[in-house]
Amino acid sequence: MERDNHQVGETEGVKICDPPCESNPPADTLATSLSLLGNHMFPDPVERNYRSTVKEEPEDSLSDITAEEESLDGDPHPHQVTKLETEETESSGCQNNVSTQQLDIENEDAATDNDRSDSGEFVVTMLAKAKLEEQGIGVKGRSSPLLEAETQEPPAFMSHRDEDVTADSWRQHRKHVFVLSEAGKPIYSRYGSEEALSSTMGVMMALVSFVQSGDNIIRSIYSDGHTVVFLQKGPLVLVCVSSSRQTEQQLRGELLYVYYQIISMLTQASISRIFEHKKNYDLRRLLAGSEKILDGLLNLVDSDPSFLLAAVHCLPIASSLRDALSQILQKAITPNLVFSILIANNQLLTIVQEKTVIEDSRLEPADVHLLLNLIGASSAFQAGEIWTPICLPLFNPDCYFYAYISYLDPPECTVCLLLLSTDKEAFYAVAECKRKIEEAMMAQNSLSLIAKVQSYSVSQVGVSDLRHFMYKPFDVPDNYRQLTQFTSPEMEAPYSSEEEKMRLLDLYRYMHSRIHSSSRPLKLIYHVAERETLLAWVTSKFELYTCFSPLVTKACAITAITKLLRWIKKEEDRLFIRNPPKYSTTPNPSKSSRGGKSDQQDSTDNGFLSLL
Amino acid sequence: MPEVSKMKKPDVKLVLLGDMNVGKTSLLHRYTERKFKDTISTVGGAFFLKQWGPYNISIWDTAGREQFHGLGSMYCRGAAAVILTYDVTNWQSLAELEERFLSLTDTANHNCIYALVGNKADLTDPKAQLPQDSDPSKDQTECGVERTDTQVLSACPTPPASPASLSGITLQKQVTPEDAMALYGRILRYKGLDEKSSLPAEKMCFETSAKTGYNVDDLFEALFDLVLPSILRNRNESQQSPTVDLEECRGAGNKRAKSGCC
Ligand SMILES: Nc1nc2c(ncn2[C@@H]2O[C@H](COP(=O)(O)OP(=O)(O)OP(=O)(O)O)[C@@H](O)[C@H]2O)c(=O)[nH]1
Ligand SMILES: [Mg+2]
Repeated sequence: MERDNHQVGETEGVKICDPPCESNPPADTLATSLSLLGNHMFPDPVERNYRSTVKEEPEDSLSDITAEEESLDGDPHPHQVTKLETEETESSGCQNNVSTQQLDIENEDAATDNDRSDSGEFVVTMLAKAKLEEQGIGVKGRSSPLLEAETQEPPAFMSHRDEDVTADSWRQHRKHVFVLSEAGKPIYSRYGSEEALSSTMGVMMALVSFVQSGDNIIRSIYSDGHTVVFLQKGPLVLVCVSSSRQTEQQLRGELLYVYYQIISMLTQASISRIFEHKKNYDLRRLLAGSEKILDGLLNLVDSDPSFLLAAVHCLPIASSLRDALSQILQKAITPNLVFSILIANNQLLTIVQEKTVIEDSRLEPADVHLLLNLIGASSAFQAGEIWTPICLPLFNPDCYFYAYISYLDPPECTVCLLLLSTDKEAFYAVAECKRKIEEAMMAQNSLSLIAKVQSYSVSQVGVSDLRHFMYKPFDVPDNYRQLTQFTSPEMEAPYSSEEEKMRLLDLYRYMHSRIHSSSRPLKLIYHVAERETLLAWVTSKFELYTCFSPLVTKACAITAITKLLRWIKKEEDRLFIRNPPKYSTTPNPSKSSRGGKSDQQDSTDNGFLSLL
Repeated sequence: MPEVSKMKKPDVKLVLLGDMNVGKTSLLHRYTERKFKDTISTVGGAFFLKQWGPYNISIWDTAGREQFHGLGSMYCRGAAAVILTYDVTNWQSLAELEERFLSLTDTANHNCIYALVGNKADLTDPKAQLPQDSDPSKDQTECGVERTDTQVLSACPTPPASPASLSGITLQKQVTPEDAMALYGRILRYKGLDEKSSLPAEKMCFETSAKTGYNVDDLFEALFDLVLPSILRNRNESQQSPTVDLEECRGAGNKRAKSGCC
C-alpha cells in the first residue's frame, strides 16, 4: 500500500543518490543550519528560463528516455532547479537534456537501452500517428509531435463537461486528468466529455499496453512545458497531463487520490470483480453522477495544501471546547459505530474513534480528505439525514462503512456530523446517536460557540515579515496512532486573490518537491523568489514551510522562525487535536469492517454486480 | 433549532425510487420546502421526517444511481408506500422502474401501496407550467387526487390563457399516462395482487412537476391519506410492544388501505 505516496512517492529512488552531506546538516537549530548555508545562497528568482532550457531541445523530441532507477540525477526538471537550494550544483543536468526523447519507463526486467529507446520511438510515432495532437493532449508548445495542433476557434463558455475538446481553450487547462479502463474505455475526464475523448484515451491505453508488453511500465512523458504521468492501479489507468511545474512524484500522488476516491465509492474488490467478469465494462455506469465528486477532488487537490502535506487541517478552537465536543461524541454510541467526526466549514473539529479499531491501524489523512470531499460534494446543504456506503481505501480498500451524515445547524448547514458504522442496517440506531449529540450540544450551547470559531491570522504570531506558513508536527503524543495534522493561517494579502493563492501554493509545491526529492532530499531550503522569500525546514519533529516578505534578511528569518515555533508550542492545544478520545462499543464481529476476508462479502458490493 | 432533541418515532415509511435525474429529490424539496432548487445527485439515501397532522411520516429519498443499487431493498424494508418516479421526457426512465427498481420493493410491506409518478411534466404540458405554489386555494377538489385523474392523465394540450405558456419550451413527451397505467397493472401482477381489489391505476398514476409544483402536494397528500390505515395499525402495535420499530412491523395486516378522503 502506498500510504505515504505523495510524500515519498513510490518506493523507488530514495536511495539512489545520497545527497552531499553538507546539504543535510543535522539542522536541529535553525541558526546553525542557516549559517551552514553560507555563501551558497543565491538570491535568485525562480521564475526564469524554465521554458527556454527545454526549447533548446531538438524539434520533434519528447526528450530523453531514462529508466527512473538508473537516472543518475533523477530530477525530471534539471534545468529548473539549479541554484535554488543550498548546496547542489546541477552538473548532471545537461545529461538529461542532450538526448532526444524523454520517457520515464520503470524498468522491471532491466531491459537494455536499445529496448527502451525502441519503445520510446514507438511511443512517439504512436502519438504522432494517432493524431493525438488533434485531440490536443493538453499541450501547446511547438516542438513535439504532441504539439502540432492547429488552433481551432474557441467555443462559447460552457460547462467543463461540455467543452469542445478540439478547442485551444481545452488544451490550455493547467491540469488534465483522465481515467480509463485497461480495455481503453474512457471512465472520467476532468474537462470535456469522455465520449469525445475516447480516441485520445484509446491512444493512451495503446501506449500503456505497448510498454507493458515489453515488461515495462510507462511512467511519464516530458515535453516542452508539459508532463504526462501515468499510473496503473488494477484494471484502471490514470493519466495526468500537466503544465503546472509539479514534479512527477506529486502528480502521481494526485492521481492516486483520484484512484482512491473512485475506490471510496466502489471499493477495490468490486472494481476488480467487475472487470474480471467483463473486460470492457463501462464503469461510467456506476460512476454516473459521481463526476462532481472527482471534479471537486481535483479542485481541492489544486487549492488545498492538505493533499500535498498528507495531513489534516483542523479548525483551531479552545481545547476546552474541543474536549467538551469530543466527550459529547464519546457518550453517544451504539454497537458497530467506529468513527464519530464533527466538521465545521469542511474542517475537522474533532474525531472520536472506536478503541479496537484504532488498535489495528490509524485513520489516514488521505481517507479523511476523501471523506470530506465526498461530503462536501454530495451532501452540501442537505436538510435530510444521509445514510450511504463509503469505503475508506487506506483503511480497507475492499469494504464499506456506512456513513450517517447530518447537518446540525440547518438551514446554514456549516456544522456536519459524520458517524461511521460497519453495520448496514444501523441507520436508526445511529440516527438516535445524533439526537443525543444534538441534545447535549444544545444544553452546552455548543453550536453558537462553534459559530464563533475562525481560522487565525498570521498577524497573531506577531512577526512582521512573516506572511504565511504551514507547520506539520511529528511529535504529537501517541503519534503512531494519531491522525497526521498540520496548521496554517488564513491566506491574507498579498495572497488574497485566487491567482496569488495559487502562486504561493505553487511555490510551496516547489519547496516540497525539493524537500522530498527522491534523488536528493534536502532538509533546509532558503529560497529567494521574485516577490517573496521562502524557507522550508524539515526535522525529526516537524516539517515547516514559511513565506516571508522579499526583503527579509537571513537573520530576520532565523528570529522569525524561532518566534513562530515558540508561538505554535504555546498554541498547540488550540491548533491541533491533541488527545483524540476513544470509545468502545460492542462490535458485531461478523460485520466488522476490518475483519477477515470471509466476513466481508456482504459489504464488498452494493449489489450492482447483479446488474452486469 | 428546528425539530430537535426528542426522537420522534416515525409512524410510517414512504420511499422514493427511480432512476437518477428523474427529480426525486426535487419533488421532495418542492413538497417540504415549497421551492425548486438546485440539487446534487443523491448518495445512498436521505431520510426526512415529515410531520403530518399528528403523525410522523418518514420519507426516504434514495439515490437512483446504479452504484447504490444494492441498498434499495434496505431502504424499502417495511415501507408502506413506494413512489416509483420516472421522467415523462425519458422513456428509459420508465423502463428502468420495471427492470431495476421493482424487485427492490420485495422487502416492502405486504400491503404496501405503489404510486407511479411521471415528473418534469412542465417540459411537455403547458398546464403543468403554471406556478402552483402561489395559489393556496388549490383545494377546490379537496385532497386533489380526483383532480388529477382525468385532466392530467389525458394530457391534452389545451394551453391555458396564461403567461406561463409562453415560458417553457415543450419537449417531446416520451411516456404517456397510458404507458404508466399499463406498468401499474404489471406491478400489481408482479406483486400477485388482484387488480379489482387494489387501488385503481387512474388513482395511483400521477404526473407532476417539481419545478412548478404542479400536482406535487396532491401526490404526497394523497399518499399520506392512503397510508393512514398503516399508521394507525403501527400505532396500535407499538402500544402493545413499545420497543417495536419500523423495521419489524411489516406484513402484519392484510386489509387494503383505503383512501382517507373522497
Ligand atoms: N424541468 C424540470 N426539471 C426538473 C424537475 N424536477 C427535477 N428537475 C431537474 O432534474 C435534475 C435532477 O433532479 P434531482 O431531483 O436531483 O433528481 P433525482 O431523481 O433526485 O436524482 P438522483 O438523486 O441522482 O437519483 C435537476 O437538474 C433538476 O433541476 C421538473 O419537474 N421539471
Ligand atoms: Mg436525488
